[in-house]
Amino acid sequence: MEKQVLRFKVNGDEYEVFIHPKTLLAEVIRDHLGFTGTKRGCETVSCGACTVNVNGRSVKSCSVLAIQCEGMEVTTVEGLEKNGKLSPIQRAFLDHGSYQCGFCTPGMLMSSTAFISEAKNPTKDQIKESIEGNVCRCTGYNSIVRAIEAVTQGKYKEE
Amino acid sequence: MSFKCPACNKEWPNSKQVARHMFGTGDKAHRAWIESQGHSYIELLLAQTTEAGNKSYEILSDLIEKAQDKL
Amino acid sequence: MSHAKYSVINTHVHNIDGVAKVTGRATYTFDVKLPGMLYGKILRSPHPHARIISIDATRAMELSGVKIVVTGKDTLGIKQGIWRRYEELCDEQVLPLEKVRYIGEPVAAVAAVTEEIAEMALDLIDVEYEVLPAVYEPLEAIKKEAPTIHEGVERNVNVTRHIEWGDVDEAFDEADYIREDWFKCSGQAHMCMETRAAVSSFTPEGKLTCWASTQSAYYTQGLLAGVLGLREGDVRVLAPYVGGGFGGKFELDAAMFCSAVMSMKLFKPVKVVFTREEDFIASKRRTPMFYYVRTGIKKDGTFCARESRMFSNGGAYTGMGATALYLSGFFHSFPYKWRGYRYDGYRVYTNTLPSTSMRGFGAPQAMFCSEQQIDWICADLGLDPFEVRRKNGHTEGYEVPGQAFIASCGLEQCINEIEKWVKAKGKLPANRGIGISSCGFMSGGIFNWFDSPYSFSSAVITINVDGTCELHVGCQDIGQGSNTTMAIIAAETLGVKVEDIRVHSGDTAHCPADLGAWGSRQTLMAGNAVKMACEDAKKQLLEFAYAEMGINIVYDLDIKDRWVHIVARPERGLPYGDLVKKALRAKDGQRIMGRGYYTPHRKGMISPAYSYMMQAVDAEVDPETGKIKIHEVMTAHDCGQPINQLGLVGQLEGAASMALGYAYLEDMPFEDGKMMNPNLVDYKVIKAPEMPEAGIIEIDTYEPEGPYGAKEAGEGLTNPTAAALGNAIYNAMGIQMKELPITPERVRKALREKKEQEAQK
Repeated sequence: MEKQVLRFKVNGDEYEVFIHPKTLLAEVIRDHLGFTGTKRGCETVSCGACTVNVNGRSVKSCSVLAIQCEGMEVTTVEGLEKNGKLSPIQRAFLDHGSYQCGFCTPGMLMSSTAFISEAKNPTKDQIKESIEGNVCRCTGYNSIVRAIEAVTQGKYKEE
Repeated sequence: MSFKCPACNKEWPNSKQVARHMFGTGDKAHRAWIESQGHSYIELLLAQTTEAGNKSYEILSDLIEKAQDKL
Repeated sequence: MSHAKYSVINTHVHNIDGVAKVTGRATYTFDVKLPGMLYGKILRSPHPHARIISIDATRAMELSGVKIVVTGKDTLGIKQGIWRRYEELCDEQVLPLEKVRYIGEPVAAVAAVTEEIAEMALDLIDVEYEVLPAVYEPLEAIKKEAPTIHEGVERNVNVTRHIEWGDVDEAFDEADYIREDWFKCSGQAHMCMETRAAVSSFTPEGKLTCWASTQSAYYTQGLLAGVLGLREGDVRVLAPYVGGGFGGKFELDAAMFCSAVMSMKLFKPVKVVFTREEDFIASKRRTPMFYYVRTGIKKDGTFCARESRMFSNGGAYTGMGATALYLSGFFHSFPYKWRGYRYDGYRVYTNTLPSTSMRGFGAPQAMFCSEQQIDWICADLGLDPFEVRRKNGHTEGYEVPGQAFIASCGLEQCINEIEKWVKAKGKLPANRGIGISSCGFMSGGIFNWFDSPYSFSSAVITINVDGTCELHVGCQDIGQGSNTTMAIIAAETLGVKVEDIRVHSGDTAHCPADLGAWGSRQTLMAGNAVKMACEDAKKQLLEFAYAEMGINIVYDLDIKDRWVHIVARPERGLPYGDLVKKALRAKDGQRIMGRGYYTPHRKGMISPAYSYMMQAVDAEVDPETGKIKIHEVMTAHDCGQPINQLGLVGQLEGAASMALGYAYLEDMPFEDGKMMNPNLVDYKVIKAPEMPEAGIIEIDTYEPEGPYGAKEAGEGLTNPTAAALGNAIYNAMGIQMKELPITPERVRKALREKKEQEAQK
C-alpha cells in the first residue's frame, strides 16, 4: 500500500503528514507530530490513555486510522491550555489532586473535556460513566470525579 | 539452663528455640549438621508444614538436647 | 504532641508536578526519543520449562532494518537478584543461557530501525528447545518426583522463614477454643499504566545512560552496573516521571537489561517498551500464598496462640519474594499481642511467572486470612469483633518480642471511630453487610539486602541568592507524590514556601543514592534526610542573623513564612530574602548547603515505625449472580502526622481501588503455566462506576522517629480491604470465603454449599 498525504488540524494548527494508510491516529500524534502528552497503555482499545478529541468528540486514538481524520480538528492535552492559561478542568485537577503518576491524566482530561462541553448538570453517576473507558491505577477515580463535578457546577468559570 | 546450637554455638533458653533458629537459618552449616544426624533438612521442613502438630520441631529439639554434651 | 498548626505541613498544597502532568509536558521513559534510536523487541519462551539447545538468528539478521540480535551468549551470564547480599538468591539471568523456566521468559532480543521491523524479526529467530516436565503449584513442586527448576535447590524450596516468640504450645494449652482454617490467596498484576520501559544509550567513553520506568534509580544503576561489568559511576539512570510502580519496578527487568546489552554492542540508543500483554505475562506479580492458620483464644476473647504455615508460589525466580515471605508472616501477627506466635513460611519455585513484592508486601494476603478467621471465631464464641480487637490490640510502648518496638499506636482510636461509624449505619437491608479489618504496616524496612554502602536516604539543599532552593533527593516519585512531600518538609523546616523549593530527583548523576520507593519508606526516611538537611542549612543561615541582630543569648531565632524572627518576639526580624543575600556575601559568594541523611539503627527486625488502621467495607451481594457491589469504604487511619494532605487522600482512595480489585475483581488464572487473560478486556481492574466513596478519619498520633511525627500512608491501606470485604460477605450471607479473588462463581458456589448443608440438618 502506498503512503498518502493527510491534512488536518491539531490543537488549532494545520498539519500535513505523509503516512502509511494503516497508521493509527495515536501514532501520528505521538511519533509524527511529537505530541507525547497522549499515551498508550494497551493493545486492545481498553485503557483510554490515548483519548483525544476529534471534532469535539472523545475518541480513543488507538482505535482510529489517522487518514479517517482528514480535514478534521483534533485536540490533544497540549491543546487545552491557551497562552499559558490552563483550562477549567486542568485547574480543577490541580485543586483536587486528580492525578498521581499522571500517565492516564491526558486521556482523562480529554474524556472530561468532551463530556463537560455537552453535559448539563450531570449526576455523579453520569460523570463516572463518562470516564468508564479510562483506566486509572493510582487515584481510585474519586478525585477525578470531584474535579469534573466542580467544573460542571460552574466553580471554574472562565473570566 | 541454656542450649547451644550445634552448628554455630549461639545460645538459647530452650532446645525448641534452637530448633526454630536452625530451621530459620537454613544455611549450609546448619543443614549439614541436621543431615549428619541422619535426617533430611528439607523433609523435616516439609513435614512441619504439611502435617498437624510440630513433630519436626520435637525431633530436632531432641537431637539438639542430646548433642549438648559434645559441645 | 497533636496535629500542630503548621505553615505548610498538612495544608492544601498542589502537587508540584501537577502542571507538567495536566498539560502533557511530563515526559516518561515511554516518551523518550533520541537521535538514531533503535527499537528493541524481546523473543519469549513459549514453554514453561525447557533447555535451550540452540538459537539461530541468521534469518532475522537478513531482514532489512534489523541491526542486532542478542541472546544470553552475548552477556556476561551473571545471575543477578535484588538480594545482592545473598548469593543463593541471585538466581536470574535475564537472558538465560541454559534453560527457560516460565512461559514468557526472554530468550533473545532484537534491535531494528522501527518497532514493526523488530517485531517481524522475532518470528525469524529459530530457537530449538528440549521441553522439560514442568510444575505449576507449590504443593506439587515440593514432591519428591517434581522436576528440579533450579539445580541444587532441593525440592524446589527457594527460601524459608520462621518467626516465633513465646512458648507456642503452652499458649495453645491455655486456650479455651482453637480454630484452624486453610486459605488460598491469589497473585495480582501491578498493571501500571506505563508498562515496563527503558531507553539505553551507551557511548564510546564507556558510559551508559538509561532512562527507566523504575521505583529506584539507584537500584537500577547498581543492578545494571553489576550485570554489565561497568562501574556504578559509569551508569546514569534517569527517571523523571514514572507511570506507576506499586512494587513491581525496582528490580532489573528485561526492558532495562536488553536495551542496555544491545546499546553496548551498537553504540546507539535502544528503546524497549513492553506491550500490555508482555507486562502481564513477563513482569513479576504479587505472590500467591497458601495459608494454614491455627488460632487459640480464651473464652473471654483474649488471644493466646497463633501458629501459621504458609506456602508461597514463588514462580521461576526469587525477585523480592524472600522479603514478601518474611513480611507476610510478620504482619500476619498484626496488630495483636500474642502470647505465643509461630510462623513457618516456605517459598517454592514453580514454572510460572515469578512472584515478587506488590503494594502491601504479603500483608494483604496475611490479613485476608487472619482478620476473617478472627471474625469467624467471634461468631463461634458469641464475642464482639470490635471488643476482641480492642482487647488484644497493640498499644504504644509494646514490643513485639524480638521483632519490633511500637513507639506510636492509634489503633484503639481507629477501632472506636469505625465502631461508631458502623453502629450509625444501623440495620442494613437483606444481602448487605459491613465487614471490618484492622491492620498495621511498616514505614520502610531496616533491611539492607541490596548491600548498599550508602545511607538509606540522603538529601542536599542549596540556597540561591534569591531565596529559591535546589533540593536534591534520591527518593523516587512514582505518582505517590514524594517530590511534593519533600518540598513540603523542606519548606516547613527552612521557613519558606513550597514554590521556593525546586526538587531534583530521578537522576543518579545529580541526586544522592536512596533505596527508592518501596515498603512505604520514603516519607519517613527521605523525609528525615530532608528535614536534617534543611535544619543544617537554616542553622548556617541563622548564624548570620544572630551576628547581625545581636540579641541576648537566651533568645532564639527561627524562620517562618520567609520571615526571620525572634521566636519570643516574632515582630522583630528581617526578611529571609535579605538574610540570604547577606549570608552569600559573608561566605565569599558560596551558597549555603545543608546535608541530611537517614538510616534506621537499632529499630528491631522490621521497621522504624508502624502505621495502624481499621477499615470497614459496606457491600451487597446479589444472591442469584454472586456479583458484589461495594457501597462504601471507611478507614480510620493513624499515619502519625499527615504531611501531604492531597497526597494522603489520593493514597487512601487509590489503595482502596487496588485492594478492592485484589479482593473481588482481579483474577489471574493460569493453565499449564500460561496466563489466560493477559489483556485489559479480560483482566478486570476497577473502573470509575464501580468505585465507591472511600472516606478517611485521621487519628491523631505522633511518631517520634518520623519527620514531624509522620509515618507511612499508602501501602498499609491496601492491607485490610480483602479481609473487610470477606467479613462483609460473611455478615451479609453467612458464607466464609477462603479463596481470592471473591468472584461471582465462588460466591455462588459457597451459597449453594451453605444451602446444601442447611438442607442436611
